[in-house]
Amino acid sequence: MSGWYSPHAGAAVIEDARPPGPGHGPGSDGPGDLDDRAELFAHRRARRRARTRRVATGAAGIAGLLVLWQAAAMLLGDQVALPSVSQTVAQFFHYLNRPYPAQGKPLWYDLYISLRRILIGFAIGVAGGVTLGSAMSASRVVRHLIDPVIEILRPLPPLAFIPLFIVWLGIGETPKEVLIVVGVVPLMAVMTVAALDEVPDDLRLCARTLGASRGYTLLHVQIRAALPFILTGMRLAMAGAWSSIVAVEMIAATSGLGYVIQQAGDYLDTALVFAGILVIAITALVIDVGLRGLLLLADPSRRG
Amino acid sequence: MAARAEPASEAVPDAAAGGARAAGAAGVLLSGVGKTFRRAGRRTVALAGVDLEVRPGELLCLLGPSGCGKSTLLRIVAGALDCDQGSVTVGGRAVSGPAPDRGMLFQTPMLFPWLTTRKNVLFGPRAQRSRGLHERDDPELEAEADAILETVGLAQFSDAFPHELSGGMQHRAAFARALVTRPSLLLMDEPFGALDALTRVRMHEFLLAMWERYRITIIFVTHDIEEAVLLGDRVAVMGGRPPGIKQVIDVPLGRPRSALDVDTEGFLAVKRGIRSSLVS
Repeated sequence: MSGWYSPHAGAAVIEDARPPGPGHGPGSDGPGDLDDRAELFAHRRARRRARTRRVATGAAGIAGLLVLWQAAAMLLGDQVALPSVSQTVAQFFHYLNRPYPAQGKPLWYDLYISLRRILIGFAIGVAGGVTLGSAMSASRVVRHLIDPVIEILRPLPPLAFIPLFIVWLGIGETPKEVLIVVGVVPLMAVMTVAALDEVPDDLRLCARTLGASRGYTLLHVQIRAALPFILTGMRLAMAGAWSSIVAVEMIAATSGLGYVIQQAGDYLDTALVFAGILVIAITALVIDVGLRGLLLLADPSRRG
Repeated sequence: MAARAEPASEAVPDAAAGGARAAGAAGVLLSGVGKTFRRAGRRTVALAGVDLEVRPGELLCLLGPSGCGKSTLLRIVAGALDCDQGSVTVGGRAVSGPAPDRGMLFQTPMLFPWLTTRKNVLFGPRAQRSRGLHERDDPELEAEADAILETVGLAQFSDAFPHELSGGMQHRAAFARALVTRPSLLLMDEPFGALDALTRVRMHEFLLAMWERYRITIIFVTHDIEEAVLLGDRVAVMGGRPPGIKQVIDVPLGRPRSALDVDTEGFLAVKRGIRSSLVS
C-alpha cells in the first residue's frame, strides 16, 4: 500500500479532464468528459483482461507441473519412490471417506481436525496481534516495552516450544492451538504497527476537519487505512500456521493431516503422503484465495 | 455574515441551493500568537508575536520560505495545534480542536483510497451525522454530493477510485469533499505544490472560479511568489527570527483574474515588491 498517499498515487490513468473555468459552464457535459469516462471503463476492462490472462497462465504452469510429475513417475516405474498423479488421486479418494487402518479415521476427519486447530489459533492470534500492534502504535511506552520482546520471539521457530507446551498444557488440543497463536501474534503485531505507522497524520487531521469524531476517525480512517497491510500480514501468518500445525501433528498428535502423512510415510504408502500434501496445498490455496479476495475488497488499487 | 452560531445549525436543510449554496464566510483574527516546540529538552520557537486579521470572504496568501512557520500557523487556525501564546478566533469564536467550519486541503489530496469519489465527498456529512450534528438523510446528502461533483467537473467520475484519477482531478475531488461540509473558512497548505506546471495553471483557474462562486474565506499557504500574487487579495510575507509575519502586502490587481495575467506590467510590479520584502 505504499504510494497510497503520494502526490501522484497510483497510475493517473486518465488525462486531466478540463476543469470548469470561468470560460465554459461548470460541469459541462462536453465530449471531453464523456471520453474520459469511457476511458475509465476501458481501463478497468483492460485490467480485468490482464488478470484473467494472469490466472490462465498460472493454471497452465500448475498443469505443466502435473504433467511432468506423471511423466517422471511413469518413466521411473517405482510406486514407492514416486507414485503417479493418478495413483495419488486414487489414494486420496480411497481414504477420503474410508478410515485409514493405522488410525481408524478417514482423511476428511483429519482435515477437519487440522483446520479447526489452525482456525482457532489463527483467530486468537490475529485478534491478539492486531490489538497488541494497535496498542504499540498508540503508546510510545507500550511500543518501547513490547518491541524488544517481539524482536526476540519473532525469529524463533514456534516448534521449539512444543516440548514446553506439552509439559504445561498436556497433549490435548490446547497446546496445538497455543502453538499457532505463538507463531501468529508477533507477526501480526509487527505488521499492524507498520500498517498504522504508514497512515499519514494528515489523513487523520483531514477526517477531523471534515467533522469526524476521534473514535470515528480511529475506526473509519486509521484502522481502515491499515486494513490492506493487516490482511497481507494475515496471508503470511496463515502460511506459518500451516507449517507449525503439520510439524506438531507429526511429533505429538494422534490425528490431523501431519499425523496421517507421518503414518503413511512409516508404512511406505507414499501415494497417501502425496495425497496428504495435496490436501494441505489445496486447502491452504482456498484460504489464501479467500484472504486475497478480502484484500481486493479492502484496497481497490490492487484490483485488476 | 450569515449566522452560524453552532455546527448544529447546519441541520437546517438547504435543499434548493444544492451544490451552488453560498457559504457564510468567516473572518479570522490572530493576536500575539506564538508557538514553541519542545523536543528532547530543545526549544524551537516556531512562531512569535503573530498579529493578523483575515477579512470575511478574503483570499489571503501566506508566503515564505520553508521553515518560516506558515504551516504551523495554518495548523493552529485549523485547531490541529494549540498555540501557547495569544488567541485565535474564527468567525468570532475561539478555536479549539479541528471542526468542519474550517476545511483543510493538503499538498497531497488525502482522499480515502478505499472510497469512490462520491463516497469521499459523502465522508464528512456521514461522519457528522454519526455524532448527531445533523439529521439529513442519505438521499438528501447524495443529491448535494452529486451537485458539488457536477460543480467541480467530476460528475462523470463519481464512481472512480482515487488511484484512477489524475493529480488535478484528485485535488478537485478533495476540494469538493471539503466544500460539502459547508466550511466558512478554507485552509490550503501548498495544495498544488506537487503538480506539474500545466495542471497547476488549471488548478489556479479552478480555485479562482470556485472562490468567486462560493465566496468563502481562504488562507492559502505557498512558497511561490507568482502563485501568491495571482491568487491573493493580500499576501502576508513570513520569515525572520523568531519567525513571524514581516509584512502584509495588498495586491491591487482587479478581479476576476486569469493565469494568463502573470506577465502583465502591474503583476510584475507587485511581484518585485514582494520579492524585496522576502529577502530584506
